[in-house]
Amino acid sequence: MKTKYLLIPLLCALGACSSDKDTSLPEILPVGESTAPLNCQVYPRGGAIFFDYLLKDDKELGAYNIEIHNNFDHHTHSTEAGECHHEGEEEPENEPVNPWIFNKDYPIPAGSTSFEAKQTIPVPADVDPGEYHFMIRLTDRSGWQQLKSVSIIVSE
Amino acid sequence: MIAVTVAALLLLPPQTDTVEVLSEATVYGESSRQELLHTTLGSVEVGRTYIENHFSGTLAGSLRSIPGVQARSIGSGQSKPAIRGMGFNRIVVAVDGIKHEGQQWGDDHGLEIDQFSIDRIEIIKGPGALLYGSDAIGGVLALYTNYLPTKPLAGCVHLFGRTNNESAGVSARLEGRRRHFYWRAHVSSTDYADYVVPTDHVEYYSYQIPLLNGRLRNTAGHERDASLTLGYVGARFRNDLKASLTYAKSGFFANAHGLEVRLSDIDYDASRRDIDLPWQSVSHTTVQNHSHFHGEGFTLDADLAWQYNHRQECSEPVSHGYMPKPADELERAFRKHTFTGKLAGRIFLSEKNQLQTGLDVEFQHNRRDGWGFIIPDFEILSTGLYAVDKWTVSDRLSLNAGVRYDYARTSIHSYQDWYPTEGTCKQRSADILRHFSSLSWSAGLSWTPGRWVLKANAGKSFRVPIPKELGADGVNYHIFRYEKGNSDLSPEESYQLDLGLNYLGERITLRLDPFLNWFPNYIYLNPSADYYEGLQRYGYTQAKVLRAGAEVQVNWQISRFLEAEAKGEYLFARQMSGDKKGYGLPFSPPWGGEFSLKYTFLEDGYFSLGTRFAGRQEDIVPPEKATEGWWTLNARAGKDFRLGGMTLKVALQVDNLLNRRYYDHTSYYRLIGVPEPGIGASLMLGLEF
Repeated sequence: MKTKYLLIPLLCALGACSSDKDTSLPEILPVGESTAPLNCQVYPRGGAIFFDYLLKDDKELGAYNIEIHNNFDHHTHSTEAGECHHEGEEEPENEPVNPWIFNKDYPIPAGSTSFEAKQTIPVPADVDPGEYHFMIRLTDRSGWQQLKSVSIIVSE
Repeated sequence: MIAVTVAALLLLPPQTDTVEVLSEATVYGESSRQELLHTTLGSVEVGRTYIENHFSGTLAGSLRSIPGVQARSIGSGQSKPAIRGMGFNRIVVAVDGIKHEGQQWGDDHGLEIDQFSIDRIEIIKGPGALLYGSDAIGGVLALYTNYLPTKPLAGCVHLFGRTNNESAGVSARLEGRRRHFYWRAHVSSTDYADYVVPTDHVEYYSYQIPLLNGRLRNTAGHERDASLTLGYVGARFRNDLKASLTYAKSGFFANAHGLEVRLSDIDYDASRRDIDLPWQSVSHTTVQNHSHFHGEGFTLDADLAWQYNHRQECSEPVSHGYMPKPADELERAFRKHTFTGKLAGRIFLSEKNQLQTGLDVEFQHNRRDGWGFIIPDFEILSTGLYAVDKWTVSDRLSLNAGVRYDYARTSIHSYQDWYPTEGTCKQRSADILRHFSSLSWSAGLSWTPGRWVLKANAGKSFRVPIPKELGADGVNYHIFRYEKGNSDLSPEESYQLDLGLNYLGERITLRLDPFLNWFPNYIYLNPSADYYEGLQRYGYTQAKVLRAGAEVQVNWQISRFLEAEAKGEYLFARQMSGDKKGYGLPFSPPWGGEFSLKYTFLEDGYFSLGTRFAGRQEDIVPPEKATEGWWTLNARAGKDFRLGGMTLKVALQVDNLLNRRYYDHTSYYRLIGVPEPGIGASLMLGLEF
């Protein structure tokens, strides 16, 4: 214990310390009524998802990524994502034929601590309908990452 | 006892000096002045009894009460050692002088060594590059299994069990000697169930994972080991040939293989003893031969070894990004062959001056398989040439100095994805050919005025970048991130100053080992702000790193029957340049230590009660979490019983008596919020004949 109090000032005097170290994760927050997608929302094929979330960090935001993959095997991720089938109805496990794969990285202007991320993501007309996971990943400049996962349904 | 010690001395490889076999439970307390005198670098020796009395399921776990040694555990049956916070490819684990070669880079890989076959361990807490070459930059764990049998027939059987993970095991050794020839056979087998943690759920990224009865599902496993040694011992020449096989299979915590929380159709709670997906298995085969020749004024030693490490990691196949659902469960497989040749000579120039010189050659050949790409195929040829001079100025002062030159040639093969990304199969790793060379040196002194033993050592050591650091380019599904190698990395260099202060009083012994360490170009996997194919990109880079720390141990023989012991360690690390300037290093152990009181009865019986503790660790790098400080109460007891010509040894250990919930900052599962095991007892029964 004592060595800690002796060594740290000693090493700090040598220039080894930096007090503005970032140790907190960025945040993915709703923006009010226009927040999308929300859990269990239904999106028709050929339509579009108007992605809208507020991204925040206490120091500086890094980049974000949106990834959509099918949940035909009913696996579950984290945060909000669950299963969205109607009560009493057991969705069968489907083998994907032409599942929707979407994976895109987006930059955030340098120096931002708060940024409203808006993207229009068209839902292709020929993909398999069913339950999908909409994953939002966000980093800050220091490399901390936050995840948010939302279940959406692509309808016929 | 004396016979065993002498026999051990005869069989030692040239790198170790005089050896004092510690038969007692404590480490430094019995360190003799002689032993301390012979090295200038801080080293710790423990014998078989220590390992048995501190048995904790894994070798690294059994060693963690030695100040400066940490165990990075992966569940209850696998762990890898770290010395002063340095692990993976920054320490060398050597078995009978041969560097153990598996897939050391893996965060979730254990050590493929049978802990019951070990007679003696020497831990070098500092750069050991001079004698062990690259990778020994952070320290050396030298294991010896080569004690010479003294009787025509002898052996022992050990039975052991642990309550926490319901493990049970058996280990048997049989050995014999007839005139010049001797032999030894060893078998071990362990089985363990899912281990228990004092919590009903684990929380990760705000997702709650419920645990049934606190069991960390799918962390069960088993291990099977066997070895055979045949030897000849003559007046001037001796030789031993050893073949060994270890096999281990264990599950990964099912709900969060890496950092992605998944549910599965597998009913993990059906049995706590089965191993479901995801799991890892590894078999390690070694054949090694050691020859020794003793001439007039010189000795010669030659080693030849072949190691084959076969690792398989399987998980449920799922599609990810552009990768379709793979056809099978084989996510990663590695087959690695390592051939080692060593030649060492020791010349006694005068009574007081001894020159040791040697040549080391090693060839590694690694092939990968499976649908998850993380490291490319490679071959590495490395050679080293060294000379060390030891000068005993007087019986109180000795000096030593040495130099070593190393050359390594790393050849990495390109890899292309097995599936198309927007039409084409992406090339992941390119063909890379790199040549590395480095000069390292070390110099030190050992001075023993009265009851004091004072040591100082300064040295430069180095490490050749491993193929993962040079050529990784893919998704690490275990940790769910994108890892990118850097083919331009230069060899990592380290300058270190070590001091050793020992006081050997009649009733009090004291040991303090401070160090200061400077890396001009520490290789570091930097978490960036960028995404690549949907995953956060981590890239290998180099930064200046300053490290300092100390270990301390005090033993006080209060009375004939009572002994108090205090141990502590502290480590400071700072990145001094680059993207993470001001941050520490990942997996840095917090300050911590142990206090214990030991009561001795009837010669060899003991009972000890102690506390282990650690401070808060908030010196973290992404994606680590700050870890609160903790303390636990632990008890140990043991006694030897003589039964005719046999000895029955009983050792009982109870960890975390108060069933406290705490997190170990250096544990693999810390990242997903899994606490350390709750209360658990380990029992070891040994019958020697």
